[in-house]
Amino acid sequence: MKKIRKYKWFWAWQDEKEEAWLSEMAKQGLHLESLPFPGIYEFRKGDPGDYIYRLDFQSLQGKDRESYLQLFDDAGWEHIGDMGGWVYFRHLVNGSEIPDIYSDLESKIGKYQRILVALAIFLPIMIFLTHDSEGVTRFGSWFIIVELLQAILYLLWAFAMVRLFLRINTLKKKNNESS
Amino acid sequence: MAQTSTDKHLPLTEATFYILLALVTPKHGYAVMQEAEEVSQGTIQLAPGTIYGALSSLEKSKLITMVGTEGRRKIYQVTELGKHVLRDQIHRYQIMLENSVNESDLWAANTTEEGVS
Repeated sequence: MKKIRKYKWFWAWQDEKEEAWLSEMAKQGLHLESLPFPGIYEFRKGDPGDYIYRLDFQSLQGKDRESYLQLFDDAGWEHIGDMGGWVYFRHLVNGSEIPDIYSDLESKIGKYQRILVALAIFLPIMIFLTHDSEGVTRFGSWFIIVELLQAILYLLWAFAMVRLFLRINTLKKKNNESS
Repeated sequence: MAQTSTDKHLPLTEATFYILLALVTPKHGYAVMQEAEEVSQGTIQLAPGTIYGALSSLEKSKLITMVGTEGRRKIYQVTELGKHVLRDQIHRYQIMLENSVNESDLWAANTTEEGVS
């Protein structure tokens, strides 16, 4: 069976864009098979199909993870793979009803809160790994390129957190209006 | 109303009510989804991510507990506290029902009231 590799980057706040892209690929007969590395997608070439893709965010281990995946399997969601906390699922579309992994806004908000917490936890770890105890970068200050890349990385990190924070707020507002 | 240990859990959302109701007898997550949809006459449709989160938080607040496994599935059941919460929620529904009027009475009341055309 023919495997096709695609390179594409989605940021943490672009999960819905990524889901739409994967559905679009499926319509062209490219079905996600595995996620070998961040930004790399492996597809299996087959017949075009109408699939809904959904990305959940979980950090479950052991039996919790098993029962979680089993529940999705029971409900008709095929688990494809994981990448950095993201769990990839797909569901065949039958008729007009569009299946989803969350049926209310509250639980959907919970997903984005988990992403935000994960980003908040990893930020100090990242800073710790790149700086020594005096707060000087481990690479030496003459290494201006590394400094610059680091600054960009922190900015992106902060930007991702702001985007997720705004998304959560929008969903919360929507939730208050509907309840 | 007197302050009881169930008050902080009330009122239940419609979805949580049906989840607890389904777990009066032991069930795994997918069976809860099916039962909730069936007994609510299709008004409650729970997606797996939502029910997984709901079961975890109900377990944390000790309204349900894991009573076994079936393969990789976890089987849950309501606790005594969960039953008390259900009972008190049902009591609230009964009060609401007593205060309800027939649909036809709603429009009948309109015509007798002043200032309503």
